[in-house]
Amino acid sequence: MIWLNDSAEREAMIESLPAAALVSVELPLRANLSVLENIAIVPQYRQNLPFEVAADQAWALLARLNQTDCAFKRDPSLNCVERFVAKLLRAVILRPPIILIDRPAILLPDVCYPPFLASALQVLEGEYEDCRILDYVWNAPLYAPR
Amino acid sequence: MHTALEFLTRIGGGALGWLKAWGRLLTFGARALVETFTPAVYNSATRSVVLKQIYFTAWQILPGFLLFAALLSYVVIQIVVTTARDFGLSEFALEVSVRVVVLETLPLLTVLFVALRSGAAINTEVALMNINNEIRALEDVGVDPMRFEFTPRVIGGAISVFALTLLSCILALILAYIAVYGVQSWNVGDFSRVIAKVFTPVAFLTLSVKSLLFGLAVTVIPIRAGLEAPRMLFFAPIAVLRGMVRLFFVIMFIEVASLALIYM
Amino acid sequence: MERAPVRAPLIKNLELKVGLLLATTGVLALAFIAYVLYARGAFQPTQDLILLADNAEGVSIGMPLTFSGFPIGQVKRLDLTADGKVRIHIAVPERDARWLRTSSRFTLEKGLVGGARIRAFSAEMSDPPLPDGAQRELITGDASEDIPVIMARVKAILANVEAMTAADSSINRALAHVDTVTGRMAGDYGVLEGVLGGPDKARKVVEALDRANTLLASLNGVSLRVDQTLARADQRVFGSGGVMDQTDRALAQVNAILSEVRESLKKADAILLAAQGAADNVHAITADVKGATTDLAILRVEVDDSIRKVNHLINEINRKWPFRRDVELKLP
Repeated sequence: MIWLNDSAEREAMIESLPAAALVSVELPLRANLSVLENIAIVPQYRQNLPFEVAADQAWALLARLNQTDCAFKRDPSLNCVERFVAKLLRAVILRPPIILIDRPAILLPDVCYPPFLASALQVLEGEYEDCRILDYVWNAPLYAPR
Repeated sequence: MHTALEFLTRIGGGALGWLKAWGRLLTFGARALVETFTPAVYNSATRSVVLKQIYFTAWQILPGFLLFAALLSYVVIQIVVTTARDFGLSEFALEVSVRVVVLETLPLLTVLFVALRSGAAINTEVALMNINNEIRALEDVGVDPMRFEFTPRVIGGAISVFALTLLSCILALILAYIAVYGVQSWNVGDFSRVIAKVFTPVAFLTLSVKSLLFGLAVTVIPIRAGLEAPRMLFFAPIAVLRGMVRLFFVIMFIEVASLALIYM
Repeated sequence: MERAPVRAPLIKNLELKVGLLLATTGVLALAFIAYVLYARGAFQPTQDLILLADNAEGVSIGMPLTFSGFPIGQVKRLDLTADGKVRIHIAVPERDARWLRTSSRFTLEKGLVGGARIRAFSAEMSDPPLPDGAQRELITGDASEDIPVIMARVKAILANVEAMTAADSSINRALAHVDTVTGRMAGDYGVLEGVLGGPDKARKVVEALDRANTLLASLNGVSLRVDQTLARADQRVFGSGGVMDQTDRALAQVNAILSEVRESLKKADAILLAAQGAADNVHAITADVKGATTDLAILRVEVDDSIRKVNHLINEINRKWPFRRDVELKLP
């Protein structure tokens, strides 16, 4: 967890971690691709995997989070959980050294996000190196003490 | 004095901005061209974008476009042949109609068709991608938008324009033969002679280069115009407008330059 | 690992369609290039022909060399020789080279409309074929260049016409002769003199006619006397009466007289025949001289008139002869 006091601090933090993969409202999904394609594009592009193989990887990750229903939907028809999952998996499949989840409060406005994040990250254990959550201090009470 | 200086500054700034825009455009085009010949660009993801681009730009419009091109060519050829006959110059009819239709009209028609359809679409899409920050998002997950989104479109667009031009030109040549000699094969020799006269190496090269430049322009300019739009939604129409106008002028410039090259 | 479900893709057979399009385009492009190369003669062995011309205006690279209206070669290159002539290099495909013989001639023609044409003429096809790399003169002919030549010829023709119409030209002399002939025709005996050759022969014809006229005058006299006689007979018949018995005899005598009249008329006929024969000859000789027939026509009219008068006379006699009378009829 990284606690922030204001937006300047947040920006400075993002700047200081250039290698991190960011999960943020400011970085939308590719609008003309489905969720599955949005995730699969990363290994497809970076490792030159055939689409079928990349799609299998993406599908496996979606299945872990029980979100395969949204695999063929595009961005406008997704709810906020599905959209968040897609963005998170797009970052996970890249296997960056750090995943930064930026202000989960606006990414997941309709759920009590701290437990949701905790469970999702637990399910994906082993698929990522490190994950940090950037959130403002005033949201700290939402997170249950470990 | 002060206002005069301000005016001059404004003019200078405008001209400089204009030049910079064209400079960025040329840089972008050159980069796309270089990437086209970089094997590393071609991976599973970019290939599929190229295929989709060709499918949308060429395959989808193929029947309608060929029908229209055939109709237009046939009418133009008939007009030229009839007029030439009236003036007793029918020996030049075939040559003139092949020059008019195959070397000039069809390449221009093809690129205008593709510009109106795919050029406008690409321009809008890139402008929206840019405004929505999707480009940054792609960069962030390690996908180079230039290589993943833009270069494949340029390649696909150029191939599409080339293919459409070639197919319509060959169709027009067949129609020209039929219009002049009718449906029989005895005059293939005469026809070949005219073709040999029209398709000199210079004409051939000019046609190919022109077609290639058209293909590049029809994708590079809309992409660049989309990228230049300020990231505000209401700038999307302006970006499309600017891109299309610029594209029109570039197409006309290429056409006039090619005419000058062949006939001067 | 769980597999992603196979789902109908957004675009059916994307790869196949695009592959088909690209393959078609590629094949057509290659085929077209091959066709253009073929059309430009890239796959045909050619032989060189070099034409020398004073002026290569209108000649361009790619221009055809035609033989009987069929292109059999193409201009490949133009250059200047050291003495300022133009060398036109023409590539002739070997299969078309058989139309060119050592005796072939080559012309460059420039029409008023359209491009120039290089044409080959081979008059003697049995001559040996033109060898590779042969050099020939190119004869230039130009429609506009011909105009001065035509003008020169027209001037020559006009000069001839002028010479013909001059005072001492041969045509004028011929016309003078014609004038002499027509002058003779206008003489005393008209065309007869002109065609019969001299005044003597013409005079004979005229004399014959005169005699016929004299005879007719005598016949007139006869008829007058007959009238007088008849008048007297009337007097005698109706005046003192009883002379009817002598009439038969008198009639016999009148018949005799009439037969004599007929004899005379036959003689006149003979003269007229002679005249007609002369007229026929004249006609045959001067078939195309219209004026000649007018005199003869008048002659015939006169003769016909005479005969008609004689006929009239005889009719009148026959009509007035219901009575037998003793009439003395004397012929001159």
